[in-house]
Amino acid sequence: MIRSTNLKVAFAHLTSRVKQALVAVLSVTFGISMYIFMNSFMTGVNDTQTELAFSTLAHIKIYNDLPEDRSNILQNVYETKLINVRNAKVIQYTEGIRNSQPIIEQIEKVPEVTGVTSQVNMSVYFRNGSTKFNGQLSGVNAKKENEMFGTATSMKFGVWEDIDRRKDGLILGSGLANKLGVDMDDNVTVSTADGITKSYRVIGIIETSMANIDNSKAYININTARQLESKNQGYATDIQVNLIDYDDANELAERIGQNVDYKVESWIEANGQLEAGNELRNYIAIAVSLTILLVAGFGIYNIMNMTVNEKIKEIAILKAMGFEGGDIIQIFLVQSIIIGILGGLVGMIFGFGVASIINQVPFEIASIDTLPMAFRTVDYVSAFVFGMITTIAAGFLPARTASLVDPVSIIRG
Amino acid sequence: MNDIALKANNITKYFHTPQKFQVLKEISFDVKKGEFVSLVGKSGSGKSTLLYVLSTMDTDFEGGLEIESQDLIGQHQNRLAAFRNKHIGFVFQFHYLLPDFTALDNVMLPALKLGEKSKQEIEANAYKNLELLGLPEQALKPANKLSGGQQQRVAIARALINEPSIIMGDEPTGNLDSKNTEIVFDIFKQLAEERGQTIIAVTHDDEFAAKSDRILELSDGELVG
Repeated sequence: MIRSTNLKVAFAHLTSRVKQALVAVLSVTFGISMYIFMNSFMTGVNDTQTELAFSTLAHIKIYNDLPEDRSNILQNVYETKLINVRNAKVIQYTEGIRNSQPIIEQIEKVPEVTGVTSQVNMSVYFRNGSTKFNGQLSGVNAKKENEMFGTATSMKFGVWEDIDRRKDGLILGSGLANKLGVDMDDNVTVSTADGITKSYRVIGIIETSMANIDNSKAYININTARQLESKNQGYATDIQVNLIDYDDANELAERIGQNVDYKVESWIEANGQLEAGNELRNYIAIAVSLTILLVAGFGIYNIMNMTVNEKIKEIAILKAMGFEGGDIIQIFLVQSIIIGILGGLVGMIFGFGVASIINQVPFEIASIDTLPMAFRTVDYVSAFVFGMITTIAAGFLPARTASLVDPVSIIRG
Repeated sequence: MNDIALKANNITKYFHTPQKFQVLKEISFDVKKGEFVSLVGKSGSGKSTLLYVLSTMDTDFEGGLEIESQDLIGQHQNRLAAFRNKHIGFVFQFHYLLPDFTALDNVMLPALKLGEKSKQEIEANAYKNLELLGLPEQALKPANKLSGGQQQRVAIARALINEPSIIMGDEPTGNLDSKNTEIVFDIFKQLAEERGQTIIAVTHDDEFAAKSDRILELSDGELVG
């Protein structure tokens, strides 16, 4: 319970030193707004990064993995003996997913799933006359692919959906088209690993801003890809799954994996570096913003210490009149808390302002136009909470000092 | 009925810095209710030290201390603070008002802390006390806008607000001219006689001491008269 008398004294202290109180409020404002800005910025960067990554990467990928290495199973039986199997091989009996349709139907029933599509991916040689480059050929269902990855927005020339209509059509990455020296409506010859060669017409050029994709990837109709590989209608090398929340990928991959005989891999498992980058940026944001808050805390500590020294006679007389140590702590802690609340509120507004302004700064690299920024309530709430914790901690020490003042030594001088 | 307000029993106190030094030597005395006692002695005789021991603010001593039949030895600081709040009023050489508060607020403060009466009652009492001390028009002025004599009278009004059984003064007139000294003395006298409040005041002023009911004189930490 905070006594109203203590509140009154606290207010009198604050209002008698408006300037110092304002400086203290400003230091909290600064700390909290920087905390908000740093975290909004880092989250914005992370979100943009993830968004960029997910423009080609699915949240969950299902494919036919190599079987386990069982080339030396005898060793497990005769543990004490050294067993040597010569010329052992890991044999893959099945290639790709032979019948993808039932799996897709099954996954589409999972409520957290927003999109499923199958792909037929293969390594091929692209040729134009004597120029020859190896790269990735991806047989896709254009409509579903676009629903999941927004691929159509990256088209430089041509129309993405034409893939579904034109069985002879090929969409080339812009870098690859350059290297091959081909343009729209030119022909490109594709050779598979099995030695099959076919010619396709360039019906589009795509630029995703990711160099490794632009320089090596091309898309064709999924059925054309199946033909090229001499596979049946249901065949797919990969099934790509997107979720409502990509953070659930690990959990859902495990759930789906229980009912599917193929390898079910979440993006986190497949792209540890993305997650690591996000985490590291978050750590940087937390470290920097907590440091700023700490500095703000020192500001409050300093000013409250000054106040205590300035008011030490008042404290002594309050104690002589019967105010207890706890009352004195309340008086000074209340001042810190008021400073913290004021600074916190202004800091949240100011932080929002700074974040909004920085969000307008042009930054035209890859598909970004301005510096990325996330506006999340959680950042504002946590900034306020951390701000209050810092303020209370910084205010408590001087308040304790004040509560321990010996009235006799002060009054007697 | 017990009419002893304060009972000091073999109070002995040492200062430890700069070296061990006995300030108070086995001091014993009683003060009756409604008595006006002056504590006199030369500088360094220990009279102020004794007052702060009696005030319960200084607990670093040996011996016994009872106020209003309550044994105050070995009590927790917070208990003592609450006890002071209710039973002891202080007037110091310097007024020590809170400069940002009005005279009225300063007077009300100990009563608000005690919290036994409503705010309206306390305010009415505070006005009454200020009137008693001839300061009703100064009630709403900030304490730091008052003259020295007025401030000291506000401090007395503050000391009276909880109707303490004992009022302690550490050179309450030390900073005042003769006219204000007389005013303060008369107030003390009146309180002792009319309200039966006990007054213990340390003073250098022989005239002030001579007019009080009883003089306790200290010399080198010993009670000599």
